[in-house]
Amino acid sequence: MIRISDVTFSYKNSQKKALDGISLHVPAGRFLGVIGASGAGKTTLIRAVNGTIPHHHQGDFYGSILVDGHDTFDTALTDLSCIAGTVFQDIDSMMVSSCVEDELLYGLENFGVARGQIEDRIRDALEAVGISQLRDRQIDALSGGQKQKVAIAAILALRPKLLLLDEPTGELDPQSSRQIFSILQRLCREEGITVVVVEQKIMLLSEFADDLAVLDQSRLAFHGPVRQVLAHSDELEAIGVHCPRMVSLSKALEREQIDLGGICVTVDEAAEKIGGLLK
Amino acid sequence: MISFSNVSFGYGSGAQTIRNVSFEIEKGEFTALIGSNGAGKTTVSKLAAGILKPASGTVTVAGCDTRRTRTSVLASHVGFLFQNPDRQLCKPTVRQEIAFSLELIGCREGAEEKTETVLERFSLPGDAEPFSLSRGERQRVALAALLAAEPEILVLDEPTTGLDFRECMQMMDVVRQLNQAGTTVLMVCHDMEVVLDFASRVIVMTDGRVVADGPAHTVFRRKDVLAQAHLLPPQVIQLGMTLGGAFSEADTVGQMVRCVREEVRHERRA
Repeated sequence: MIRISDVTFSYKNSQKKALDGISLHVPAGRFLGVIGASGAGKTTLIRAVNGTIPHHHQGDFYGSILVDGHDTFDTALTDLSCIAGTVFQDIDSMMVSSCVEDELLYGLENFGVARGQIEDRIRDALEAVGISQLRDRQIDALSGGQKQKVAIAAILALRPKLLLLDEPTGELDPQSSRQIFSILQRLCREEGITVVVVEQKIMLLSEFADDLAVLDQSRLAFHGPVRQVLAHSDELEAIGVHCPRMVSLSKALEREQIDLGGICVTVDEAAEKIGGLLK
Repeated sequence: MISFSNVSFGYGSGAQTIRNVSFEIEKGEFTALIGSNGAGKTTVSKLAAGILKPASGTVTVAGCDTRRTRTSVLASHVGFLFQNPDRQLCKPTVRQEIAFSLELIGCREGAEEKTETVLERFSLPGDAEPFSLSRGERQRVALAALLAAEPEILVLDEPTTGLDFRECMQMMDVVRQLNQAGTTVLMVCHDMEVVLDFASRVIVMTDGRVVADGPAHTVFRRKDVLAQAHLLPPQVIQLGMTLGGAFSEADTVGQMVRCVREEVRHERRA
């Protein structure tokens, strides 16, 4: 779905490379989490994939990015937006309407979706994120978690093959954050949508994503299945990425010659494996 | 140091955001306020800083009734760090930002010297423009500006939101040092691992009410309360409670490792 080949980018008027020799392949239907210290290039990577780099944010661009087979450099932003939907960090700035239904309608009308299809699209998108009951509500009166779901529904109504999200749970409480991630996981598993999410909450990424990409100073430091990447917990700490406590526990037990048969990421996994040792 | 007695508050003419909240925080305590979005945590933190005044009941901070004391006087006792540092940054350079905070509390004598000491202590670039810095650095500038006034009480609303792990630890280390030097800390936080690592006491809020208040390691073991507040305990405590027995005592990875080692040894002998 995404093929990034040796991409280097620096923003106009900046000497610093914001992306430095990045190559990354994301197969269709995978859920990729992107993590790294602030300033490591995570948001820039999202912009490069959705085509706002180089079409909107200007600068020096080397290498190539294919999204669903289309070279982002040669494809118009409007065409790319039909394939890749982006939920930006600041959702308040994304909202253009006062009521939920209008928010979804706005995108659909802008993309010229046929009138006969609009009702189905709105209903399906609201259902997919579980907010059908919010359809007629005023956006101002919604909680942060509800607004985030509206932002995702508005993008889903456009039926993208690829969903890109930049820190979707930044200001949400633990329960709403988990809800957002389980919605993303379901969209990926059941609808086959490829999901790429930038997130600082490593526990959520570890539990819900298939793969992790770790950026460090504009370069790709690690990429692979979650457990494989987390096995490098010491190197990750050194570049400012903290692993879940269950990973630290698995590593510490390994040093004590207590083998849990690999890295545990979630509490349930650790409980099962430790319980197994004591049977 | 902070005292809430039967405090209620509502925004505008709507329903009450917080209802009948009472607690006492002693000097030098490090208390975390937890709960889901909309539970009333930010409202309580603003009431504790005197930014909001109670509709009924009394809030006393450093001996001052917040309804009878001017906000500028309260500001010399309580520093309040907003969730978004950009709300409190308003000057063209970091140095002026710090100096402004001293000016606000009416500090004239030695203000320049104090400003330089604070810049040095937080390793901040004095001549930089605050908005050219990263979010983590801006958060540190906002905190440094508060601390220049040397408040006895620090109220922090989600101090680690939007920060990466390293920035989060830098921030929390500063707060911990201040607390160890005697500053009373009240912190709203969504990250339960951070809460357990740094706070000694936890107040849990649901629907505008306090539903639990006690030592962090005790409150995090109360399943009923956490479920009511839609929270999960930190991973190690969760694991310990699942495994039961001796495991349920562990708070840290180190303690859990020792516990597993003992149990495995015991098992092998048996």
